[in-house]
Amino acid sequence: MTTTDIGPKGPVGKVGEAVGEYVDRRAGAKTGITWFLKRNIPSETSWFQTLGFAAMATFGLQAVTGMILAMYYKPDPTTAYSSIQHITNEVTWGWLVRGMHKWGASAMIILVFLHMARVFLFGSYKYPRELTWVTGAILLIMVMFMGLTGYLLVWDQRAYWATVVAMNITASAPIIGPYIADILRAGSNFNPDTLSRFYSIHMLVIPGGIATFIGLHLFLVSKLGITEPPWAKRAMRARRAEEAAARAAARERAPQGRREVIVEPATKPVVTVEAGQ
Amino acid sequence: MAESQGNDASQGSSGGQYAGPRAIDPVQEHSHDHDPEFITRTKFLSGVAVAGGAVLTAAILVPIAGFAGADAVKTPKDQWVDVGPVSSFPEGQTSSIAVSGESQWSDARVFLRNKDGQLLAIWNRCAHLGCPVEYFKGGDNFVCPCHGGAYNSLGLVVAGPPPRPLDRFNIKVVNASGATVGSVGKVHGSWSTAGLDPSARLLLGSPFSIDSNQTATRLHDPGEPVTGVLSNLYPF
Repeated sequence: MTTTDIGPKGPVGKVGEAVGEYVDRRAGAKTGITWFLKRNIPSETSWFQTLGFAAMATFGLQAVTGMILAMYYKPDPTTAYSSIQHITNEVTWGWLVRGMHKWGASAMIILVFLHMARVFLFGSYKYPRELTWVTGAILLIMVMFMGLTGYLLVWDQRAYWATVVAMNITASAPIIGPYIADILRAGSNFNPDTLSRFYSIHMLVIPGGIATFIGLHLFLVSKLGITEPPWAKRAMRARRAEEAAARAAARERAPQGRREVIVEPATKPVVTVEAGQ
Repeated sequence: MAESQGNDASQGSSGGQYAGPRAIDPVQEHSHDHDPEFITRTKFLSGVAVAGGAVLTAAILVPIAGFAGADAVKTPKDQWVDVGPVSSFPEGQTSSIAVSGESQWSDARVFLRNKDGQLLAIWNRCAHLGCPVEYFKGGDNFVCPCHGGAYNSLGLVVAGPPPRPLDRFNIKVVNASGATVGSVGKVHGSWSTAGLDPSARLLLGSPFSIDSNQTATRLHDPGEPVTGVLSNLYPF
């Protein structure tokens, strides 16, 4: 059966294409999506290279569940703990959404570290992708900071004292440590402002930073393309060729008389003569 | 810029372009745009725009930064908190109290030690990383539950990671009319119990840190040594 591509036939398809065309003419949407998603990738791209997307997906999960939790949570020392009890025990599916946020946090940290290990072990941080690594390192710091500030919000004894200790570890950094700790906890000790300050950092300051840096990170990934795994056949061929070239160059550089001697019967007499001179 | 290019073309330097005579010869203008010696109107106005933008941005960011951080790094002012009559802290005992009221140290737990003829107020904040230490009557010592720091009756380190002894609060004793009675004890911040009226009120002041000889220094955060080479890492 032969078909001729004459575009969409149904009215829905026609409208869809027209809308797409309208947006693309004005905002370059199709062009941008093609640039971002329809890239050439190495033929041996592996499942390990999906960890970054998985980490980003957990960020989306945390953002959505966090927004809903913020509708019920009360960041005040007298009401914080009881509002969490209310979320967990009384609000419909509150236990579920809080659980998704709590376990999603652990999953995010694990995925971020697995993603970083993948990048390190594949050597993907090397030229020209150094800036991708740097933006990723900043993202890692912000994710850890999310963990620290979110842990306090539960406002039970464990959360309180773990954060007291964490703040005192911060304060024990030389020279500027005490100032950083004072600014984070809004004073030289834990006080009623500390909880709302951590809440603001947790749900406003850092998420904005993470979203910004995910954007930069993705731009760099898309611009530079992704690396192939170290076991890719093309990569191994290239490495072998490089090693052979390096050996050849070393032979050229070696001074006369100190060349690597290939021990074969035909060359042996020559070597003996040179040694005898 | 455009004029000067057109001028080049009219002299027949670039191939493929009309190089014949022109009806009106372009007037050769001298442009100062790329001359560092001249400040053109464009350059001046760009500079004004950048400087104005910087001033407006600073007018927003400076108050925000001050609002976010200034109070946090301010040294709290001295305040004396009444914690009860001297008779509440009997001779030979270490009593545990929670500071109440509007003080900066409200909710801090303090051990009032009335021994050796003097009253001492020992803060329960561990000098290692700030966990609350517990007082054990049997051993007359303080132990931290977090990392095993242990202190003797005076709050001096006997075991574990703390880099200095437990911090103390300044104390003084006043009579009903608010006048100071008695005298300072043997070490800084303490109060001698000799001849004190049991109904006189004990006041708690600001905290300070001590070294292992009970010499007073300014209040340090947990984890900061007050003597030795490493104490230089915390100059403020």
